[in-house]
Amino acid sequence: MGWRQTLGDDTILESAKASGGVWRYAPPAGHWDEALRPSGYPRRHWRTLTLALRRIGVAQLSRRWQIGQQLIQANGVTYNVYGDPQGKERPWQMDPIPLVIDAGEWVGIERAIAQRAALLNLLLADLYGAQKLIAERRVPAELIFANPHFLHPCHGFTPAGGVFLQNYAADLARSPDGSWWVISDRTQAPSGIGYALENRLVSARTLPSIFNQCEVRPLTRFFEATLGALLSLAPVRAADPRIVLLSPGPNNETYFEHSFLARHWGVPLVEGADLTVRDNRVFLKTLAGLERVDLILRRLDDAFCDPLELRGDSLLGVAGLVEAARAGNVAVANALGSGLVETPSHMAFLPSLCRHLLGEELRMPSVATWWCGQERARRHVLDHLEDLVIKPAFPQPGQQTEFPASMDQAARADLARRIADSPDRYVAQEQVDLSTAPIRTEEGLEARHVVLRVFAAWDGASYSVLPGGLTRVATGDRSLVVSMQLGGGSKDTWVLGKRETEPSDSQPAAMQLAGRRSSGELPSRAADNLFWLGRYAERLEHGARLVRALLPGLSGEGDLGSAVSLDTVIHLLGGLGYLSAEELGGSIAQQRWNLQRLMGLLVYDPSQTAGLGWSLKQIRRVSWQLKERFSEDTWHVLQQLETDFSRTPPATPEQRFVAAMTLLDGAVITLSAFAGLFMENTTRGKGWHFLDIGRRLERALQTSALLRVGIAEAPFDIEPYLAVLLQIADSSITYRTRFLTKMRTELVLELLLADEANPRSVAFQLATLVERVEKLPAAADTEAEPIGRALAEKALASVRGASMDDLATRDADGDLWALDSFLAELRTGLYDFSDALTARYLSHLAPSRLTLRR
Amino acid sequence: MLYRTTHTTRYLYAEPVMQCLSLAHLTPRSFPGQTVLESSIQVDPEPVRFGRRRDYFGNEAASFSILQAHERFVTTATSLVRVERRAPDAPPVGWETTRDLLAAYPDAPTREAFGFVFDSPLVAPYRELADFAAPSFPPGRPMVEAARDLSHRIHAGFTYLPQSTSVDMPLLEAFGKRCGVCQDFSHIMIGALRSLRLAARYVSGYLRSGANYQGAEASHAWVSVFVPGAGWLDFDPTNDMMPTDGHVTVAWGRDYGDVTPMKGIALGGGKQVVQVAVRAEKVE
Repeated sequence: MGWRQTLGDDTILESAKASGGVWRYAPPAGHWDEALRPSGYPRRHWRTLTLALRRIGVAQLSRRWQIGQQLIQANGVTYNVYGDPQGKERPWQMDPIPLVIDAGEWVGIERAIAQRAALLNLLLADLYGAQKLIAERRVPAELIFANPHFLHPCHGFTPAGGVFLQNYAADLARSPDGSWWVISDRTQAPSGIGYALENRLVSARTLPSIFNQCEVRPLTRFFEATLGALLSLAPVRAADPRIVLLSPGPNNETYFEHSFLARHWGVPLVEGADLTVRDNRVFLKTLAGLERVDLILRRLDDAFCDPLELRGDSLLGVAGLVEAARAGNVAVANALGSGLVETPSHMAFLPSLCRHLLGEELRMPSVATWWCGQERARRHVLDHLEDLVIKPAFPQPGQQTEFPASMDQAARADLARRIADSPDRYVAQEQVDLSTAPIRTEEGLEARHVVLRVFAAWDGASYSVLPGGLTRVATGDRSLVVSMQLGGGSKDTWVLGKRETEPSDSQPAAMQLAGRRSSGELPSRAADNLFWLGRYAERLEHGARLVRALLPGLSGEGDLGSAVSLDTVIHLLGGLGYLSAEELGGSIAQQRWNLQRLMGLLVYDPSQTAGLGWSLKQIRRVSWQLKERFSEDTWHVLQQLETDFSRTPPATPEQRFVAAMTLLDGAVITLSAFAGLFMENTTRGKGWHFLDIGRRLERALQTSALLRVGIAEAPFDIEPYLAVLLQIADSSITYRTRFLTKMRTELVLELLLADEANPRSVAFQLATLVERVEKLPAAADTEAEPIGRALAEKALASVRGASMDDLATRDADGDLWALDSFLAELRTGLYDFSDALTARYLSHLAPSRLTLRR
Repeated sequence: MLYRTTHTTRYLYAEPVMQCLSLAHLTPRSFPGQTVLESSIQVDPEPVRFGRRRDYFGNEAASFSILQAHERFVTTATSLVRVERRAPDAPPVGWETTRDLLAAYPDAPTREAFGFVFDSPLVAPYRELADFAAPSFPPGRPMVEAARDLSHRIHAGFTYLPQSTSVDMPLLEAFGKRCGVCQDFSHIMIGALRSLRLAARYVSGYLRSGANYQGAEASHAWVSVFVPGAGWLDFDPTNDMMPTDGHVTVAWGRDYGDVTPMKGIALGGGKQVVQVAVRAEKVE
């Protein structure tokens, strides 16, 4: 049991009581605590923060924390957890109390990290070049020969300026005596800097006055300072090199960060399939054709970057990228193969390498590391197994750290045998003692172990270090395991000592690699996603309107006059494919009960492909891939939709009915807000056109389907159907004011099919489609006119030429045959239009591997 | 002995391929005992770019990209190669001495050889392979004798069965089935040697057509073992022999993946059929 301490002195406890919470903080003994000295008094550089926290009190801090949580949710900050059945995104976990680092201490960290980045860069340059360090036996040859992260195809060529590491990150831990240790290096595609920026945004907004009082060093300067050096890595071709950010895609754990950084920097976020290599040059596929790419900021691991020369079992990368980089036609940051020095096995050799390569002492030690491939080290490890942590020497996905201290005799013996069998594959490290820092919990303050990730980037002469970082918090109160995958949290990191000249971060301006980014041509995949976003948003809205109009028919009570009959509900849902025939049998009571259940599924279940939940899931999928293209408002609207639908439906049927109606009303309004933002706040670029084409096409399809089922295929007593149709198509009022008469088929057709002034009619959609396709990118030389225009015009002409009276006339059998076949033809025309557009602009051929079968 | 070698790889696709990037190891290499007099690679359809470079292991790697739509892709590599290899005259160095020398890598050749002691993507020194190797490596046995014995035991204990394994089949599966083709036998022998921390590399090449060899109809594979004082000596476990004039060497690497004769990424294509034909005709 450690000593109980209060934060500061007794007066703190007093005032905390006054503000309604117990303000106790008792870090466990035996570790360095970041905030408190062993005496229990705050460290000097924490005083401003602790005093301010004392002033605002626990309850107020909790409220601030709520605001932070809302910001995180609204900004869609997530961290994807692999194999999580709950779906892939999890809200980012952030504690409101920052980690504070003293200005003087930071200078030491800064120098050490800049030195380490420079050292690792030189190490990479040698190992991928002359390998003199191996010939001179300064590092064991095994370190590359046994290392799967040494990529043979990347040997023998040097990136521009000899810069392998454009950016670098290290995880730091503080031992009980207060000194910092490097516990791991991140060299191939360091992650976390986007989360650090986002944490800063949240903390500067949730604790604005404290933030300003503390004079926290701003983060954005770092990017400006390193931008020029970044651009200088691109091959000299044009004054403005084209930059893209290459991501593995939305399934990656840090995808949020990829889209955040792409937006922050103003560069296109791309996946491997968006790029192509031709004649040893890399191009981005855009609607207007191929655009040359000069610099790839990659967040894809080394081995996945090129399925041709690197790992052939992955198609995430860009075939031919290694060769294009080898030819110097494209810069990749970090350079391909940089993951080599990410493996812990090299750590043991850094002190002597630093003396040799830089002529100075290593400024910050690495955690003590023994690589078992060396006999002496192996003997030491096997003799001291329970005091050590065993890690894979060359980590591959799925490999775990092992803790012999908590193993039983048999497990430990098994581990010792595995080490003896393949010693090259293991390293042992000292169990790191992590420092503690206060976090906010529902119970007040608690101590958690923390690890600090710091970031550096090449600045043209050496490495600049971001004055801040991502503080990660251990999962439980005794835990030394710090892993976002396992549910750990994070903190903002406040480095004190802001200079007069530095701007504040409270409203960090988006960094623009302006003028240097893509010419604005829309990548084909983005156009594809926008097209489908338009279609799914419309499908969802249509579905919500439909279900909302039909639900009252199921309640079995209420105003019978306006309620839709059960038969109507069944006919419409069955005919429109929302429900299948076998689900709809049984007695009236059974049917009602059944329908209520099925409607619930339609609304909530994302696995029902005809349902609203499914459309929402698709919206989520495509909008994630478009995130960096949306304004914050647009994103908030989409998040709102998500929040609405993720509420658990109430237990009782009556409550559920009310909840569903409220939900659908809300969804229709939220979707209208989305449409409004899109109409009023979005530049009429190509992306806008694609989204609108998707929306118009979907609405034309949905409305004509509604006319087919609700009129052409409806029973003879058609009046109740006409009323519902008008309601779904939001045209009841127009009908009443214009026609001042009871429901008549030809008039409803006039309004929903032919009226080009009604934004819900089929004709309106067709006329808009004709307009939109005119504006699509110039077609290839061989194409005389815009793709799809003829098809859209033909459909429009057929609607214009049709007589509603004729279409509403029943044949000898009493059927609306003319209408039925007219609508069938219209539908075929719409699909032809969609196919033509897709084939020209949106087609994506799947890559495949050529293999040699025997 | 002078050979005319022809290696044809023909891909036929169900649907058009719009674009294709390929990487090939099809040009035999020259080294003491083998001289390449002529060599060329024909690609149909015409590639827009044809690049050649030396890879990490010193093999010639050819890369080419085709940008026109095609449903058939044919690569023909022809070479004129003189092979004059004598039966090796290796000093009787013990296998433990070899192992220790590699670990110490006192000079450039041993350091290079040391690069072939460790796991590679397709070959890992599994315990099963270590157990299999043990009887061939009693203490003090000369390296060449031990490697010959290992090669012989693979030949005797495994069935040569074309089509029995696929290119992608893991090594241990072939080992468990006790059957396979030259690639499997070579990988098994390499893994067994590496389990003892000996240096072994994978050699791809051709066998003289018409001779009574197994594996002559397709490209062949065998194993090269580092022996101090003698350099790299070849062993062909598929034919239980140490290659001399009947084997034409194309390329070597850590395993099949480093020297795959032909690989590529195609855009489109659907189902593919591949046909490979190899000839190594004796010219004189």
